[in-house]
This record gives sequence, C-alpha cells and structure tokens, in this order.
Amino acid sequence: MASCGPVLVPSLLTERAGWRLNTRYLSTFLGARFLGYLLFAAVAWELGALVSIAPGPRMLVIGVVHVLLGCVLLWYAYSAGHRCAHACSGSELVTVGETKRRGVAGPAALGFLTGLSLCPPFVAAGVRAAELGSVAAALLFFAVFFVGTSIWFVPFVGLGCITRNEAVITVARMAMVLIALYYGYLGLTMLLGRKVYGY
Amino acid sequence: MATEARILQPQEMAPRTIGRSILLTLPIGLWSVLMFSQFWGPNRSVQIASVMTPVFMIALFFMMMRTRSTYRWRRWFFVALGLLFPVGFIHTVMVMRGTMGIPIEEMIAGRTPFCFLPIPLLILPAAFTKAVVFPGSILPHGGMSGGGMAAMAGVWLAITIVVGKGWCSYACFFGGIEEGMAAVPTRAKLRKIDPRWRYGPWAVLLAMVLLSLALFEPAYCMWLCPFKAVSEYVAARNTVGMVQNGIFVVLFAGLVIALPLLTKKRTQCAFFCPFGAFQSIFNKTSVFDVKIDRTRCSPCVLCKTACPTLSLTDESIAQGETLMSCMKCGACVDACPKQAAVWHIKGTEVAVKPERARLMFLYAAWGVAIMFGGRIIADGLATILHVFI
Repeated sequence: MASCGPVLVPSLLTERAGWRLNTRYLSTFLGARFLGYLLFAAVAWELGALVSIAPGPRMLVIGVVHVLLGCVLLWYAYSAGHRCAHACSGSELVTVGETKRRGVAGPAALGFLTGLSLCPPFVAAGVRAAELGSVAAALLFFAVFFVGTSIWFVPFVGLGCITRNEAVITVARMAMVLIALYYGYLGLTMLLGRKVYGY
Repeated sequence: MATEARILQPQEMAPRTIGRSILLTLPIGLWSVLMFSQFWGPNRSVQIASVMTPVFMIALFFMMMRTRSTYRWRRWFFVALGLLFPVGFIHTVMVMRGTMGIPIEEMIAGRTPFCFLPIPLLILPAAFTKAVVFPGSILPHGGMSGGGMAAMAGVWLAITIVVGKGWCSYACFFGGIEEGMAAVPTRAKLRKIDPRWRYGPWAVLLAMVLLSLALFEPAYCMWLCPFKAVSEYVAARNTVGMVQNGIFVVLFAGLVIALPLLTKKRTQCAFFCPFGAFQSIFNKTSVFDVKIDRTRCSPCVLCKTACPTLSLTDESIAQGETLMSCMKCGACVDACPKQAAVWHIKGTEVAVKPERARLMFLYAAWGVAIMFGGRIIADGLATILHVFI
C-alpha cells in the first residue's frame, strides 16, 4: 500500500469520481499487477534466486522499471491535462472528467510496472518462489502473495468519494510529475550504478 | 436586501494618539520583558542583543497601533527573522559540528536539528508504523538546535490552533528572505501568473507525504527543501549527495531569490511550500480571518494585487472572503483604500469593529512573534555583534 501509494493515489485522483469507476480502475491496476507478479514468479523460478538476490541484475531490472514508471506517470499527467483542458478552462471549480469510458492502458501499465519491482517484501517473496520445486508452485505462491497484499488496496476505493474539480486534478497532475521525476532519477541512478542516497 | 455600508467614523481611520498607542503597546512590552529577561547573559553581545531585540519588536508594535497599518511594520520583523535565522543557526552548527553538512553518523545518532517543515510528512509513517522517520530526538533538548521534535511540534500546535496560517507570517523563520526580496523592486516584472500555480504546495505535499511513507524517509528534507541552502545540507560524499545539494541551491535561487524579485510575491510560500498547504487546513480552526466587506468594496482589486500569496481572486472577493491559503499578513487590509478588507473574528458580523478584531489577532500573533521569532532574531544579532565586540 505504501509502495504503490505514490503511483496509485495521484493517478486515481485524475480519474472521474465515483466508487464504481474507481473500482474498475483499481481492478485493471491490480489485474496488471497480478500479471507482473506471475511473470516475476516464473522468471525467479527459472533463474533460481539470481534475479532476486544478485545486486547487479536486480538493480538493472528495478532501474529500468523505475525509468519506465517515471515515463508512464509523465504521460499520465500530460494526458490528464488534455482530458481536463475543456472543463478546466474556467477559473471556477467544476466537476471534470471525460464522459466516455476510459481506456485501460494507463492503469494497466502502472499496475504491471509496480507489480514488477516496488513492493519491499517482493524480493523476499521472489527468493521463496525460487526455492520451490516447480514453476506451478512458484506461480501459486505469488498468486496467494498477490491476494494477501491486494487487501491493502481496498481503502483506495474511498478516493472515489473525493469530488474531482480543477484543484484536485491539477494537484494530482503536479504531484505525478514530481513523483515521476523522482522515480526517473532513482532509476537512472540505479542504471548508472550509483548509491541511492548521498551519505 | 443589501446591507447599507457602514460609514467609518474619522477616528476609526486617523492615526491613534501617542498616549493611546503606548497604552495598547503596554501588554506587548511586558511580554517582551518577560521573554527576553531569560535571554540575558554574561556575554556583552548577548546583553546588547537582548535589549535591542525587544526594543525593535515593541517599536514595530507601537507603529502598528499608531498608524493602524499592519503589513509594512510586520514586514520589518519578518525580514529580520528570515535574514538572522541562518546567521544564528549556521554559527551554532559550525561551533558544534564544524561544518554545515550533516554526515550519516549524526543522522544515525539522532542529532539532526528538527524544524517544523517535516511535520506533515511524518504523520502517515507514524500512524502506520508507530515510528518517526526523521533522524532526530523526540526529547526536549534533542538535536543540535536544542529543540527536540516534541518541543517543536508542541509549539507549532499551540500557535497554529490560535493563529491558523498566521504561522506563515509571524512564526516561520524561512519566509522572511523571500518577503525581503519581494520588497526590493518597485514594480513586478512578471505580472501574469497562472493561478493554477497556487495548487503547487498541495501537489508537493501530496507527493512528499506519499513518498515519505513509501521510502520511509522525510522526502522533502532529503530532496526538495530550498532552505537547506542556508541552514544545513546532506554531507555530499558522492554524486547523489552533490545532486541533492544542487537541487537545494537551484530551488533556493529560483523560488526565494529570483522569482520574488520578478513577481513581488512570496513565490516559495505561495507555489511550493508543503507545510504552507498543510497549515492552510488550520485556517479553519483559527478564530481569526480576513473578510471583504462587499457593501464597501468597489471592487478595485488592489487587495488582489497586493496579496503576496495569490490568496484573493475575483471570485473570492465577490464572495467577501480570502482563500484558505491566506497567511494573515495584512497586505490586503493595508492596500484597500475603502477599508473594505477587514480583520474579522469568526461568528461576528463582518466589518463591525474590525479594529478590535485586528487588535485581538495582533496580540496573539505578535506574542508568538516575540516568543518564537524574537529569540531567533536575538541569537542572530548576538552572533553578528560578537564579531565586532
């Protein structure tokens, strides 16, 4: 929940209000995250503990994922501006959001990428999956791991109750840009092989 | 039915008499003596500072009473606070540590000075994990500044409940530098500012709270605080440390120096500071606010132009209110030629005895200014005097 919060909260706030719409968004996000989990489980089992433990490959994978995540968030912030452009043109706070059904690409991309790298217990789970006897057992382990961690996403449905207006959309977009820059920077730092913190 | 505009009596607009002004200043004088009697010490520079500072604070309050104007006198205090805080703080840091850079050993030992800015960033990690993610002591006298987190949070909470976002104009030791910069040019070179930048502090707050929870660190202090440039910074032992310090310097140069000079606004406070956004919420708890008396308003929008934080819009003026980001600096009240912008106590009728509301607010806010900012000014002043004496 904490790890996915910086990605999920602002992106969810740029969507239309309503718990049903938010549930649909979350379902797409979690579905894609589940795919990311299964992919990671299969790779972890195939390569043994290599991806989970070895610092070099792990940093490479996480670095690439962070950079991609930063790019997707920037795209999301940009596209949210287009969706908002007409309704937000006035200075009044108005309810905004497109009337037609949203695509699934955005939440799916964010869900998949967060499913690959962000959760701290994820690496530990990868080690456990790598130790299992068969790929089916590794997949099942990650499926159960997914169900267990997904419960923490239920409170995010509550964000659907927040009325969307120019202020909320703009704040969410600006926050997304900041978070995207941070993830992008973090990813590049990892790819360049530097230490994450400047101590 | 529209309410008739109340005609202001001449005595309500004219300067007060000297005797009456002294009488109104008396409580503040006593408060100053009480506060600064504790500052007195054997050092001559400290003795001079502990006399000069209360005289300065009392004189400003006297002028506020005499002229009925708030902003221009408060600004002297606020700029002095902003300029002298780094002087005293850096001196302390250099004496105790020998460098402005915080090494990791100091962080692990929990000796990192605590300011109020990370307070909103610590709430979620504390709520979910029962742990404080800031590397400092929660005990009194913890940290290099001599004030632990608990002391700072307690002072902040007590002040906030009373003055709301007035904290940002009477207690914050960071905003003074940009207010001073904004006062330098006679006219703004950049006048057209997209009002959506007002949402910047909320965006920084949202991003930093979420990142602090995810990364388990005070993300704002680590990456975005412009005032690291004039207080203390992460000891740059590798490339990442250099990048962090580069960000601090660029933000300080842009938001605290360059943009206030160009816009005549408090740009860091208005468009960036996450603590300011958090503090806006507490404007709801404060009993004091600023209202626009619509029966008297033209509207000439001089108040909107004067506001250093874009807390007045055409819509809010039409509704007779400031936005929740109002810092209660008094610029709009002073700028209004028709006395339509007025101090107000919640629950009372607008523009009925506004001077009484102003007085009540100022006693609270100036009491805070003396207690919190006055000590900081005296510290900085004593440091400078120590060089010469």
